[in-house]
Amino acid sequence: MFKEFFFLEIKSAFKRPMIYIFTFVIALLAFGAVASDNVQIGGAIGNIYKNAPYVITQFVSILSFFLGILIAVAFFNNAALRDFNNNFNEILFSTPISKSAYFFGRFFGALFLSTIPLLGIYLGVYLGAIIAPLAGWLEPDRIGPFYLETFVNNYFLFILPNMFFGGAILFALSSRFKSTVISFVGALILIIAYISSGTLLSDIDNETLAGLLDSFGLRAYTVYSRYFTPVEKNTLSPAFEGILLWNRLIWIGVGILILLLSYLSFSFKEKTKKVKRKKAQKEESTPELKELTISPSFSSKLNWQQFWGFFKISFLNIVKSIVFKVIFLFATILLITDMIGGFEYFGLQAYPITYKVVEMIDDSSSIFIIIILIFYSGELVWRDRLSHINEVINATPHHSLASFFAKVLTLLGVVSSLYFFFSLLGIIYQLILGFTNIEIGLYFSTYFIDLLPGYLFYSIFFIFIQVLVNQLYQGYFVSILFVIAWSIILGVFDIQSNMVGFGGAPSIQYSDMNGFGPGLLGNFWFNVYWLLFASILVLVAALFWVRSTGGGVKNRLQRAGINLKSGIKMPLIAAVVLWLASASFVYYNTQVLNPYQTSDERELMAVKYEKKYKKYQNMLLPSVTEVVYHIDIFPEDRDVKVKAEIRLQNKGSQAIDSIHYNLSDDWETEIKIPNAELVMQDDSLDYHIYALAKPLKPGESMDVVIHTKYETKGFENNRGNTSIIRNGTFINNMAVLPSMGYYEGAELSDKNDRKKYDLPPKDRMPELDSSNKALRMSNYLTDGRADWVKMETYISTSADQIAIAPGKLIKEWQEEGRNYYHYKVEQASQLFCSFISADYEVAKRDWNGISLEVYYDEKHDYNIEMMLDAIQASLAYYTKNFGPYYHEQARIIEFPRYATFAQAFPGTMPYSESFGFITNLEDSTKNNVVNAVIAHEMAHQWWAHQVIGAKMQGGTMLSESFAEYSSLMVMKQKKDDLGMKEFIKYDFNRYLRGRGSEREKELPLYKVENQGYLHYGKGSLILYALQDYIGEDKVNQALSDFLAEYRYAEPPYPTSLDFLRHLEKQVPDSLNYLIEDWFKKITLYDLRIDEATFTEKAEGDYLVEIKLINKKMYADTIGNETETPMNEWVDIGIFKDQDAEESILMKRVKLATGEQELRFTVNEKPAQAAIDPKRLLIERIYDDNYESIKEKD
Amino acid sequence: MPTLKIDSLSKTYPNGVKALDQVSLEITNGMFGLLGPNGAGKSSLMRTLATLQEADSGSAFLDEIDILNQPHELRKHLGYLPQEFGVYNKITAAQILDHMAVLKGIGNKGERKELVDHLLQKVNLYEKRNKSVKGFSGGMKQRVGIAQALIGKPKLIIVDEPTAGLDPGERNRFHNLLADVGQEVIILLSTHIVDDVRELCSRFAVMNLGQIVYHGSPEDAIAELRGKVWQKQVSREELDSYQAKYQVISDKMIAGKPQIHIFQENDPGDGFQSVTPNLEDVFFTKTKLKTETV
Repeated sequence: MFKEFFFLEIKSAFKRPMIYIFTFVIALLAFGAVASDNVQIGGAIGNIYKNAPYVITQFVSILSFFLGILIAVAFFNNAALRDFNNNFNEILFSTPISKSAYFFGRFFGALFLSTIPLLGIYLGVYLGAIIAPLAGWLEPDRIGPFYLETFVNNYFLFILPNMFFGGAILFALSSRFKSTVISFVGALILIIAYISSGTLLSDIDNETLAGLLDSFGLRAYTVYSRYFTPVEKNTLSPAFEGILLWNRLIWIGVGILILLLSYLSFSFKEKTKKVKRKKAQKEESTPELKELTISPSFSSKLNWQQFWGFFKISFLNIVKSIVFKVIFLFATILLITDMIGGFEYFGLQAYPITYKVVEMIDDSSSIFIIIILIFYSGELVWRDRLSHINEVINATPHHSLASFFAKVLTLLGVVSSLYFFFSLLGIIYQLILGFTNIEIGLYFSTYFIDLLPGYLFYSIFFIFIQVLVNQLYQGYFVSILFVIAWSIILGVFDIQSNMVGFGGAPSIQYSDMNGFGPGLLGNFWFNVYWLLFASILVLVAALFWVRSTGGGVKNRLQRAGINLKSGIKMPLIAAVVLWLASASFVYYNTQVLNPYQTSDERELMAVKYEKKYKKYQNMLLPSVTEVVYHIDIFPEDRDVKVKAEIRLQNKGSQAIDSIHYNLSDDWETEIKIPNAELVMQDDSLDYHIYALAKPLKPGESMDVVIHTKYETKGFENNRGNTSIIRNGTFINNMAVLPSMGYYEGAELSDKNDRKKYDLPPKDRMPELDSSNKALRMSNYLTDGRADWVKMETYISTSADQIAIAPGKLIKEWQEEGRNYYHYKVEQASQLFCSFISADYEVAKRDWNGISLEVYYDEKHDYNIEMMLDAIQASLAYYTKNFGPYYHEQARIIEFPRYATFAQAFPGTMPYSESFGFITNLEDSTKNNVVNAVIAHEMAHQWWAHQVIGAKMQGGTMLSESFAEYSSLMVMKQKKDDLGMKEFIKYDFNRYLRGRGSEREKELPLYKVENQGYLHYGKGSLILYALQDYIGEDKVNQALSDFLAEYRYAEPPYPTSLDFLRHLEKQVPDSLNYLIEDWFKKITLYDLRIDEATFTEKAEGDYLVEIKLINKKMYADTIGNETETPMNEWVDIGIFKDQDAEESILMKRVKLATGEQELRFTVNEKPAQAAIDPKRLLIERIYDDNYESIKEKD
Repeated sequence: MPTLKIDSLSKTYPNGVKALDQVSLEITNGMFGLLGPNGAGKSSLMRTLATLQEADSGSAFLDEIDILNQPHELRKHLGYLPQEFGVYNKITAAQILDHMAVLKGIGNKGERKELVDHLLQKVNLYEKRNKSVKGFSGGMKQRVGIAQALIGKPKLIIVDEPTAGLDPGERNRFHNLLADVGQEVIILLSTHIVDDVRELCSRFAVMNLGQIVYHGSPEDAIAELRGKVWQKQVSREELDSYQAKYQVISDKMIAGKPQIHIFQENDPGDGFQSVTPNLEDVFFTKTKLKTETV
């Protein structure tokens, strides 16, 4: 019997087109993702094959969730409801069939069916991998081998369990409630549950929990594969192990439970409907019937009343509907989950300032808003027809526009009420956290400026689609297609204009410093443009609004013609005219006044530039030795005028006869070189060549004056320049001045891109080679254009702002209602100069004659004292351990949140408002990431500004890794080992994840090629561990010796080998292997406690026996590991508590590869044993370093 | 006194079905019945008159109002109860009537309340006014339907198959309601139930295949047939031969045996007895014979 139902289910599905369509679409998606170079789903970048097991698993896990739910709804809902919907149930259930055969036959039939479309992934990937290289869409080396295991394991790990779990829920719901709507609600719940489990993922401590909670296993796989190296991504299939296995077991178990419960409550008998007991009704007699003469009156007022009537009734209808209640409930739950998660950053919370809360509301509700808009646009258009009241309503004397605008207002009202309810929650949230600076105005202005136009546009847009398509489900399909596909289509055709991006507008990002910012004007005009377009859509939709029935397309057109005459013609003409006017205005601003390049165009420009001018790369360049900047900032107009007087010197041994400059589109630049002639001017690539009438001889200098200005004109297609703004302008010399000589940074860097354009492969950095003196003449920052430069700045801004440039403030004055400042850098420094202007509060403190200064926005006074403390602590440590500070001030300057970083200019450190100024630092036991950032930037005043690496592999280790190390040492003064471990776990994560996403090759630290995960992540880990192994003072000694040798020294610049030379002197022979293993190789450890036991020898005398299994590996550049014998020092810790916080014994012992047993005697009862408890060695799995110590029997 | 003039109205659906074929009628006040089998084009005619469907050609006027070209004007004077009258979920009788009243031009809130209460009393649903209409029985729903059709003093009330599916009690109640509306307006009632017309209408028309095949008063129609309808009880096996031999108007089972009515000017003999024709005979004569013999 079971077999019959099972096969019946399958047979009937194979007769219908749905399963073929699903399979085809999914195969097509997978095919496209593999075969196209533009589609990058699944992480097939760099060295990862387009068909790598990791990539395929990404496809499977993602699609088996997103499309899987849709497929599950289709098959399981159908399996559960078909007989009911066809009213066949009574006939069928009166036959002698077995309940279990019916129930499980249907279920497993649907389960089998629902897994078939997902097999389309395999088909698509397989075909893509074969066809793409043959067709020349991909280089053959982008395709790797297939592994049967990948397909089999993915089926049993993702496809089948996900369909089983999702199916169990949907089947249970449909069997119970006999309603397709409830099935949709079930699908919604599954999606929301997934999103919610993601809010846990933001904190790395919760990763495992988040991985277990995700019922579809995506996050479990993310956690499972987080430290995969490229080679592992290319070869390893997901296996039945670890978190992945646990997750699957948990959710299959839950699925079985749900299915059984559903089976037990399933019955063939009709459910007897519950009859609500009637409430005691008041006796109410019908009043006497009187004659009544009430006549209708048709005035313009009535139109409004009818509009309002339509609105009221449909608004209430939606708000009372079950789907809305479910969406509302879950959106609220999601928001509250988000709120509980807060604004986490490195274990710290930001203050719940209003813009953050508003953004949180927008983020967590936007998906629901889209669902509501799409679902209810169809519902509103079809409600009358589905309720069979359409003819009655349509035959009443109301204007179609009244009912139409009411629909728009209803949608708008529903989503707006969601926003305002959430705003209320937001305010309550702020109050609960004790945050009282609530900007209620911002809740409103965000709504009106940023949200309302979009809500309105999309309300109209989706209603328009529904009216025109005139088929409910097709209407939904077209709407969803638009949401998903339109941006992809534009991307394929490389169209970036917001004018065709349905509802597109420059983005707005609110900043406490700069309000709604540079995108506001453009955003406003684009909204005008789109809303006028929407008004055309409304009117066209009203033309085609079906008020009468019957007839085909011809009749609809005919009716539209009649409607046109009845009062829609004039408004339509007016709307079109206004829209065209706004379109030309927007076009003028975004295409004529502020033209932009699309990403493809930019790529082509880069290719052209390289092909045409690469030949000049090695030509002789003079070096900048002195600069005087004259900068005038006009915040109101967002204009900047610059005059730079530059002294150039020929430091080489040959005469220089020409100077090359790269100009910028955005800046109007005039270069005055004495006795020179502009001999080549390439305006499309902005390349100028000046020939010197009299060549510049070695040792000679010349003065160049550059005038350049930036003028903000109108608005742009995107939000425009975020550096030159109303409040918080922050630019640097590289952005302002044209660069000299061939600019290598403009070249395409991705190796696959380069191949596409037939460019030769390119090294990220020249090979590390101490003996290459020629290369060592340039450092990686100024690239040979300058060495140590004397800098002065005259800078002016508006009367309400302070302008800051690096250096000592020499003079400050007012002139013509503007503020003027003259700064001079005390010490010839790197040619790296920031120019900043905003309305600041200033906090100052004097420390040993150095002025510590924080420039901040008046709203952000939370952490200012702590920032000053951090500067002071850094100065104290660095001057003591590394050497003197060469400036008379140390400034931290807040800049708006359009970028999230801090940066060190000489004595001057701009720091983004978003990650420090609003971080809550009240709990001093937490990681003080603000201190860490400030200490890092302060450290750059030594590492980068006093000594800087040659432009060669390993260069950034000398600045970034040292700055990270220095920062950790400042932290360490206030923290114990356990606290530091909390801090460096982020560095472990950064390094281990980073190496998995490496596009080209991982290198040992001393050859780092400006790779963040290496010079920050691994650099911190290794230098931190090193100071623990050889002593902080020894590392500092090496650093200060190194610094002493190269401080402010003219080139050649040092390399990482020069540092290692100093370090070797400090390392005892017994630990010499550390330099080799940690700096010069990629070394990984795998240390594990297999078993730990104790026996009580005497009162208070315990013998602890620990069994270890150890391994040490060297990895190559793509992650292939080779085991190597281990013979080195590792810490063993024994703790008296299970949390391993209080140690009884801490001992560094020498360990060899493989199993070994250690014995210790302790005089307290031990609870936990740990290997490498301070987490100094780089291991991918650290959890197994701990083990409870059990009593030996 | 309002007059509805329909002239040569035609409509062909995209699938080729001729729903209206040169329909011409002139109707003045009072209740006018439109009789016809399923698919005769009644609903098409009603919907066209209710401005819910376009005609291909022809014209229709309510007094001065050109129905086809001034739909908005006509709607001000129209009460319409379609074949299918449903309501939204979770909405009460009072709410839906209030909503309809606004749509029909009763802007004043106080007046509207008064009117809604009045109508609810009239259709005997006052006590149930705050109950969800979704839970109403078919008859109650139809009463809500007629109540909404009466809003706004319509000159033309169109009721499409209102009694289909009602039990006899509800049907009577519905008839009484219609009869109450008064003689000042035109009530156009379509039905395929002959008794509806007999009980309510002073004039009626029979439609078949998109055409008006008869137009007049029930009495005239019956008088026309007087002496021409004959009846006989036959056996089942004989049925076919009678069908071939006579113009059979109808056959129905009486106590298990077919009883046939035939149309013949003279006494056919052969055991046929003369019967007094009723409206049903008229209906079948006009619809069946036309299609079969013409």
